[in-house]
Amino acid sequence: MIKPKLMLIAFMLVATLRLQAQDATVKGKELFGDMRARHIGPALMSGRVSDIELHPKNDRVVYIGAAGGGVWKSTNGGATFNPIFDEYCQSIGAIAVDPTNPDQVVWVGTGEPWTRNSVTVGDGIYKTNDGGSTWQKMGLEKSERIAGIQVNPKNPNEVYVAVLGALWSDSEERGLYKTTDGGKTWNKILYIDKTTGCSDLIIDPKDPNVIYAAFWEFRRTAWSFNSGGSNSALYKSVDGGKTWNKIHKGFPAGKLGRIAVAVAPSNSNILYAVIESEQDKDKGLYRSDDAGASWKFTNGDFGLVVRPFYFSRITVDPKNPDVVVKAGLLGSISRDGGNTFKNLGTMHADIHDIVFDINNSDRMYVATDGGVYRSWDGGTTMEMVENLPLSQFYQISVDNEEPYNVYGGLQDNGSWFGPSSSPGGVEARDWQVVGVGDGYRVLRHPTKKIIYSEMQGAENVWRYDPVKNEAKTIQPLASKGDPKLRFNWNAPMAISAFKPDRFYMGSQFVHRSEDMGDTWVKISPDLTTNDPLKTEQGKSGGLSKDNSGAENHCTVFTIAESPLDENIVWAGTDDGNVQVTKDGGKTWTNVVANIPGLPKNTSCWHIEPSVFGKGTAYAVFTGYQHGDQKPYAYKTTDFGATWKSVTSNDIVGFVRNIQEDYVNENLLFLGTEFGLYISVDGGTSWLKFTNNMPSVAVHFLDLHKKTNDLVMGTHGRGVIILDDVSPLRQLTSETLAKDFHFFPIKPAIMNESNGFGGTATETQFVGANASTNAKIVYYLKKRHTIGKMTAEIQDLNGNKIADLDAGKAKGINIIDWNFATKPPKIATGKTFAFGGFTAPRVPAGTYKVVITKGKDVFTNDLIVQYDPKSNIPVADKKANEEVTKKLFDMTQDLAYLVYEVDETIKAAETAKSKSPSSAKAINPFLNELNKLKETLVITTGDNYVGMGEPQLREDLSELYSKVASTFYKPSAAELDNLSAIAERMQTAKATLKKAKEKHNAKLNEVLAKNKLEPIILKPFEEFLKSSQ
Amino acid sequence: MKRKLLMIAAGLLVSTAAMAQTADEIIAKYFENTGGLDKWKSLKGLKYSGKLNQGGMEIPFENYVFKDGRQTTIYSLQGKTIRSNVFDGKDLWSDNYMTMKAEKSDAETTENFKQEAADFPDAFVDYKAKGYKVEFLGKETVEGSETFKLKLTKKPIKVDGKETENVVYYYFDATEYVPLVMETEIKAGPGKGMVSQVKYSDYQELSNGLIIAFTQAFGAKGGPSQPITMTSIQIDPTLDAKELAFPAGQ
Repeated sequence: MIKPKLMLIAFMLVATLRLQAQDATVKGKELFGDMRARHIGPALMSGRVSDIELHPKNDRVVYIGAAGGGVWKSTNGGATFNPIFDEYCQSIGAIAVDPTNPDQVVWVGTGEPWTRNSVTVGDGIYKTNDGGSTWQKMGLEKSERIAGIQVNPKNPNEVYVAVLGALWSDSEERGLYKTTDGGKTWNKILYIDKTTGCSDLIIDPKDPNVIYAAFWEFRRTAWSFNSGGSNSALYKSVDGGKTWNKIHKGFPAGKLGRIAVAVAPSNSNILYAVIESEQDKDKGLYRSDDAGASWKFTNGDFGLVVRPFYFSRITVDPKNPDVVVKAGLLGSISRDGGNTFKNLGTMHADIHDIVFDINNSDRMYVATDGGVYRSWDGGTTMEMVENLPLSQFYQISVDNEEPYNVYGGLQDNGSWFGPSSSPGGVEARDWQVVGVGDGYRVLRHPTKKIIYSEMQGAENVWRYDPVKNEAKTIQPLASKGDPKLRFNWNAPMAISAFKPDRFYMGSQFVHRSEDMGDTWVKISPDLTTNDPLKTEQGKSGGLSKDNSGAENHCTVFTIAESPLDENIVWAGTDDGNVQVTKDGGKTWTNVVANIPGLPKNTSCWHIEPSVFGKGTAYAVFTGYQHGDQKPYAYKTTDFGATWKSVTSNDIVGFVRNIQEDYVNENLLFLGTEFGLYISVDGGTSWLKFTNNMPSVAVHFLDLHKKTNDLVMGTHGRGVIILDDVSPLRQLTSETLAKDFHFFPIKPAIMNESNGFGGTATETQFVGANASTNAKIVYYLKKRHTIGKMTAEIQDLNGNKIADLDAGKAKGINIIDWNFATKPPKIATGKTFAFGGFTAPRVPAGTYKVVITKGKDVFTNDLIVQYDPKSNIPVADKKANEEVTKKLFDMTQDLAYLVYEVDETIKAAETAKSKSPSSAKAINPFLNELNKLKETLVITTGDNYVGMGEPQLREDLSELYSKVASTFYKPSAAELDNLSAIAERMQTAKATLKKAKEKHNAKLNEVLAKNKLEPIILKPFEEFLKSSQ
Repeated sequence: MKRKLLMIAAGLLVSTAAMAQTADEIIAKYFENTGGLDKWKSLKGLKYSGKLNQGGMEIPFENYVFKDGRQTTIYSLQGKTIRSNVFDGKDLWSDNYMTMKAEKSDAETTENFKQEAADFPDAFVDYKAKGYKVEFLGKETVEGSETFKLKLTKKPIKVDGKETENVVYYYFDATEYVPLVMETEIKAGPGKGMVSQVKYSDYQELSNGLIIAFTQAFGAKGGPSQPITMTSIQIDPTLDAKELAFPAGQ
């Protein structure tokens, strides 16, 4: 027997286990129900792709790993791709397809190995045993960057992993790892030191005991980069990784930098290596014809030596050892064993990986900063994959147009804006370019059609008029006596809620312009630490100088003017200061020292002044550039004198951005490196939002004031929108305790647009539109599984108007209603009357939503309104509704008339067949009926070009549909047409009446005589309900 | 004393682990909770009747499925009858919407359909005898609910001439032991490569005591879904063979 005390301990143990299992993701899934994010891309410029892998036997299957957008799989030879890794870290380093079980087993190493300043981190290695449907993390959680994975082609349990490791700090989890049990355990089989990682890895395809591994000494800080050192080297093992030797015979002397290595699959004695070295003359491609025993320099062209930290990979044609390609600025190909090279065909610059098709070397796939390209002619012509929305936004903003536009800048892909919705979906053609280079902030002038955009380091800041297509550069310039202005690579801009022409920019100073950037005034001293050791970017790069401006440091990184007081301005710096002025810049106070638990010099990434108090603001910080990946987000209510943390243990990964709701101060949104988190309790606890929301780095958040849409700029999956977050404002513990809770339904406005759109082809990405339907939102405490649950719309008298499909998920459910009632009952003909598929809209008014769940009935009012901005007067809409109703009724009347004719024909035919002698008497009736029917509905042909001549039903339903589909008052032509049709209806009715008067008695007589059923027509109402 | 405590705690953990489900236990419980495996096995056919709601327009349909794989779906639209996925054991055909005439599916689709049709009444019935494999992949929160995820590997199908694996994932409610969601990769057509999803709800009892989902919502994972709700499900219906035969000389 267990004693009570023991029981208690045991119980607590189990309780703890349960608590741990309830992580933020699971809790989020339980609450957010079917609230679902939508993706609008764009994909036309795509985004950085770090790795491509092919299925070794099936040339239709292609995997790509994006720098920030996850793993995508194509099953149609690269025509289109689908994401298969959304729930996990989206920064991908390397993919490997198991050669022995390629349909099932795929490995994914997270953490991009192309170590630019904006590169993010991975969180280990994953494996799928079912072709990508489910994934298991297989360890190496602290590896940060995985540069290569090789699976032994003869033993799938033996896998080698090149761990490049931490970029911004020392780390012992780097080097070459090996598992012999399919990833359950790992051995670090080759390790150099805390600063040197394994940057490339290949095993001899003919002998899996032969392994080549390149090691690279490297380090990045926020203000510099160093590539190379005495530890960089190329190693070879011939015993499955037990022993290793450097293979440097013929290599340049001195320190080495990044090295890439490739084995020719068709002749494994032939190797190529690209080497970064001390002397420029030695840098380039080396070839070995003796499996690495000795090397010869072959070529040092720009294309082979440019930016080794960013472009390193070499690939050898699987069929020809003399054809070798090198990733680079433009990509290079040699067809003479590496002696001479030419550029690959025109495509987006910055090539990271190139692969040859398994069967046909003319077919190639290339990974670039702008997506994936395919070639059909050996790399001469490059064709872009158009359905990869991998765009990497640094920042986004929105305007007040309807639908609103989203503005933002992208890694190496300029600046853009595009609509949040567009007829037919948000397509490539909807996006407009508003800046070149790398794009960052893009802001719309609050009142004018003017857009501010910028490129890296504020080299250009544009004031752009998209109507006239005129751009002027307006960046602040150094005045007399100014020091050199230090702009961040991603320089801050801000506009004012008070003065529309006011425009802020930040260097080490805050600059303010009151005339849209023509005149600038410095309104602050140097707000940074101005540390001279952190401002020597000219020396950055290591063995290959790399002074792109990306390492500019001690700069202002974020500026925000309070929405409540134009004299309150916040500025955060990349070297960890938080400065605030309450007097429009006359005096500034650095309040960062008041923040508890924040390590010194942690970059202030974003400051969000609150709408709930002048002294209230949120600040988020990122320490990953110091190797610190903890989340830092704080709130002050007293201008920074005191701060409290608004993070919790629920959050995984570091924070990039925060957004406060405008209505409920406790509703917060957090953009983190691994996705979106939402707090409904002011930051005490956080839930991860995962519904159609990948674990992607959310760099920027904005909450649209009118629509309440949360708009996210992700660094790898484009713009993602969570439509109308207002239900989240209502979430209280009382709400959550109820079995069912109706959220107040907002008055729904009937959208009048009915134009054209949708020009994308099957292989192009199309972003999802926001729904324009009425939204009925409720909370279910438990998923509805057993028993019946229905939803319907009723009028205020309880008459059913429409059936809806009830959402049944646990958590928040959203039902859409398109304001449509049921379409009319249509006369049966030989073909369809397409106009008859139109369902009439309800008039504006109040309706009831009725949800029946088992025995429980829940109701809520729904107000339907006409669009107040419509140009169509309400009286016209009423006229439309009146005529629609008339046509609707006429359509059903005609259906009944045809039914009557059909039933009579049927009876007459039956009578005739039963009593052939009556034919003479019945035939004239039948002839008249059939003749009449031929004028009522189409009785011949098909639904396409074989269709018969339109008759009364077709003309009537066309007119009905024409009127019912718009809000316009029916035109004179339509009304004339209506009276002509009404007249035809009358004539038809009269014709039937006349024929029946003349012949019905006889027919009834024959029927009775032959003991046949008399003609009994269903009453009109019953007929309407029947499926006849 | 301390050691004893630890042992008890460890024992408790072990028993927690032992409580973990096996795929066969989940399947057994599913059949047990929905009327019993014998009842499932004795089914000869089902007739589903319902209405498809297309933005207000209701399209009545009847779907007959028989144990021997024969099946048909009959829609009624503007008084016209449209037949879709009619399978008489040999030919798979549907009415062409333009001509309203029957057309056969291509040989590969027919072959795959025939293979799938043999699953009646449920893929898990006698799955081992059918050569299927089931794996329990663990717990997952789906539709806000805790579920058991099962992987069902069926016989491969052919896609554009290539043999392709045929895997379906089922998420069983962890309390009720009935499927909430079924997922499978779309193998052909415009959605190729995407994951299709069917959500099951409104489980209700049939006249013979079997419990079946009356609502099935179809969609792509992560996207909206189109629910289809049955108004009735009839057991062991009859249907004239000529309704299933490919119409000759149309």
